[in-house]
Amino acid sequence: MAEFSSATTSRSWYHYLLLTACVLFGAVSVGFVGSIIQKSLPTWLHHSTTLIGGGGWQSPSGPFGGLAMIVGTLETSLIALVIAVVIGLGTAISIVFFIPRRLRNIVATFVELLAAVPSIVYGLWGFLVLAPFMYSTIDPWLNSWPFAREIWGDPSQQYGPSLFLAAIVLGVMILPTFVAISREVISVVPDDLIEASLSLGATRWQVIRKVVLPTARIGLFGATFLALARATGETVAVALIAGGVAKVQWHMLNPGTSIASWIATEFGEAQGNEVSALMALGVLLMLLSFSLSLVSRWLVSRQRKLLARV
Amino acid sequence: MNDLTELDEPIEIAQTMRDEIRRVSNATRARRLMVSRVMTTLCAVTLAVTAVPLALLLYQLIKRGAPELTWTFFTKVPETPSLIAPNATGGLSNAILGSIALNVYASILAIPIGVLVGVYLAESMNKFAATLRVIAQTMAGAPSILMGLFAFSFLLQDLHIGFSAIAGSFALAVLMLPVIIIATEIAVLNVPNTLREAGLALGAKPHKVSMRVVIPSALTGIVTGCILAISRAIGETAPVLLVIGGGYLNTWKPLSPVSALPLSIYENAKSEWPSQRAQVWGAALLLVIFVFILSLTARIWASRKQKVSN
Amino acid sequence: MSEAQVTKSPTVVVRDPGHTAMQLHDVAVSFNGRVAVRDATFDVAKNRVTSLIGPSGSGKTTLLRALNRLHDLTPGAKVSGRIVLEGTDIYRGDMTVTELRTRVGMVFQRPNPFPTMSIYDNVVSGLRFNGIKKKSLLDEAAETSLRSAALWDSVESRLKVAASNLSGGEQQRLCIARALAMDPEVLLMDEPTSALDPIATLKIEELMTTLKERVTIVIVTHNMQQAARISDDCAFLLMGEDRAGELIEFDTTEKIFNNPNDSRTLDYTLGRFG
Repeated sequence: MAEFSSATTSRSWYHYLLLTACVLFGAVSVGFVGSIIQKSLPTWLHHSTTLIGGGGWQSPSGPFGGLAMIVGTLETSLIALVIAVVIGLGTAISIVFFIPRRLRNIVATFVELLAAVPSIVYGLWGFLVLAPFMYSTIDPWLNSWPFAREIWGDPSQQYGPSLFLAAIVLGVMILPTFVAISREVISVVPDDLIEASLSLGATRWQVIRKVVLPTARIGLFGATFLALARATGETVAVALIAGGVAKVQWHMLNPGTSIASWIATEFGEAQGNEVSALMALGVLLMLLSFSLSLVSRWLVSRQRKLLARV
Repeated sequence: MNDLTELDEPIEIAQTMRDEIRRVSNATRARRLMVSRVMTTLCAVTLAVTAVPLALLLYQLIKRGAPELTWTFFTKVPETPSLIAPNATGGLSNAILGSIALNVYASILAIPIGVLVGVYLAESMNKFAATLRVIAQTMAGAPSILMGLFAFSFLLQDLHIGFSAIAGSFALAVLMLPVIIIATEIAVLNVPNTLREAGLALGAKPHKVSMRVVIPSALTGIVTGCILAISRAIGETAPVLLVIGGGYLNTWKPLSPVSALPLSIYENAKSEWPSQRAQVWGAALLLVIFVFILSLTARIWASRKQKVSN
Repeated sequence: MSEAQVTKSPTVVVRDPGHTAMQLHDVAVSFNGRVAVRDATFDVAKNRVTSLIGPSGSGKTTLLRALNRLHDLTPGAKVSGRIVLEGTDIYRGDMTVTELRTRVGMVFQRPNPFPTMSIYDNVVSGLRFNGIKKKSLLDEAAETSLRSAALWDSVESRLKVAASNLSGGEQQRLCIARALAMDPEVLLMDEPTSALDPIATLKIEELMTTLKERVTIVIVTHNMQQAARISDDCAFLLMGEDRAGELIEFDTTEKIFNNPNDSRTLDYTLGRFG
């Protein structure tokens, strides 16, 4: 591979052009992190305990407490992830192993297209179609369960949009992404491994469970983290369907909010301290996203080492 | 005699072992096949569970969206319905124009830098490149609302640019950069080394080889990556939400406030007028059509590349 | 003898059924109606090595894969004729395909240990697939089959290490041990040394001659010397006019290589084509 830092080429204008672009990109990324942190500093310096506390969010004077958003983000994205992984894994397996070859490529293309559908469209569908349907049909049924009040919350607070609905729509939204990547990594598991396990008398499910999924696990981790990252960072879909109430919510049919969607809904009216508090929420979101990316990189490299020389 | 017993023993052990293996295998076979059947059926069920909501979403999108895509929709600016004219919504030409302008500016900002950085990453193996690669991968997973916060903090608060198309384009460009960088790096790395070596063997300087041989060979991969980056950016609401200002005018001037399709969907979905809520389905359908065309173009482009290189 | 040359029909060597591991009668395999191999009629003798030889495209691998029903996976594949294992027709009899595969094992062209499993887990994977959980039995089977594959001494101390740490030849012997752990009656080998260096190849060949005491071996090879060295019986296949492979001749290896009935067999074994 040509090494551009070698002595003979280091002085060419082309090298400097590439370097300039790299420096620009480096500057943009430093600015990206630095600028948001800088604007959030007043909040971190003076109100950091309030920000991660559950004191509620009082515009425009404060206090600005972010616990409701943090909890809401975790609740919605984790439930969405469970939905997407459980359903998505089965779907990806079915696409690779059970549907006819001719149909397979069409379905795969279709799933990839759905993965590209903008999140606002999922949000719109959740807000205008699912929310009224939940309110009229599903919510009364869920509230007729035993211990409904403990699980789902007080029916008088419910009006359609809820953390639960947001989680479902997020789950449906990240499903195509998860399926598209999982399908790809499952389909590259070498055929001779599958044939070898069949030749040992394994059943179809044993082949999938004991050989295919373990062999594909690096890619499946990647798909899971990407799906989780999309769910935690989703803004407008959640803003439309979570209900937008800044209160720590353990009852899932009650309205709540998330970090990203709270920034989006409050930013328009915000002034002074509130802008800084929203920037501080942004820093929290950034931390969440960066640590997810760090953990996934660590897991993937660890797995790679285990699978070295395959 | 001694020799005989020594020979006999292992064979006898093997015989009891074979019997034991066959016995357990036969005794558990029915159960194992049943488990396999149940689990594979469950996989097929998850495929249906995936298909139903997504099919429903597409069906409703087309059914409600298609009637909205009228001549007025594409050519008129929005109006506010009133009691006298509750259906007078006008069109969304401002949002269509705004979306196009935002993405053209964002592409102009992001593509040159992204491609150059990607080429550098692919052809350099130093610490600087490794750091930039990690940054690009981390930024690729960052929530898009953060790009909006960055653009607000840097352009609006620090540089006092004001709500404008260019501020939105800046946020979208930051979003597109890592996508383009990663795609370019992969495309360049996929260029066979023999091509490079052939160029170098002819006495060409490394930077000439890079420009005249490597980049042209990687071009289809680079273009595919750029198209995918645009298709992601065009549907994003969160980054532009905070900084483009909105507005009812048909304009593409970089420094004036503009609207965008995703933003109109987000705003008008909450409208009190049924006619405006209906109109957003048209915008959503148009957006999905845009994204599908871009994704399909990228796929066709990528498969054409494979045919050429085979 | 001279009659056989004229009629071109493959010689059928009929043996006492007690000495036969598998019987093939008029076996043909086709994919979406296109015949890949046909006219395969011969007996695989117990505790002998039977080799399938012929130029590429003659359908030897296709025929081998029919013997443990691996074509079941391929849409459009059809196997006709009869393949009998110990009195049961493996396609039409009342034997499930998973049972068949525990009795007829397979070793593939490329060494393919399961990458996520340790050496030990690879060897006992077949037993685990078949519901065997007893630790003592697993341990015993692992040791016995690793010894049979001449691998025990070099891996005894590192059974828990990932199988990918082994060399190519060791990986292939691990795959043989993995198949042997099920204690199959027949072991199918699809060009098992084609991805290996000469020294590793020699080791596997030596292994086969000792293994046949325990298991009947059917091997596909494109290497004439290998077939001559290790096999007792030999089936020669050739691509016919319509690009479908067919069985030309089946006999003892000695006869095939020294005094075949068909002139094409002689041409092939002398290296005149292929």
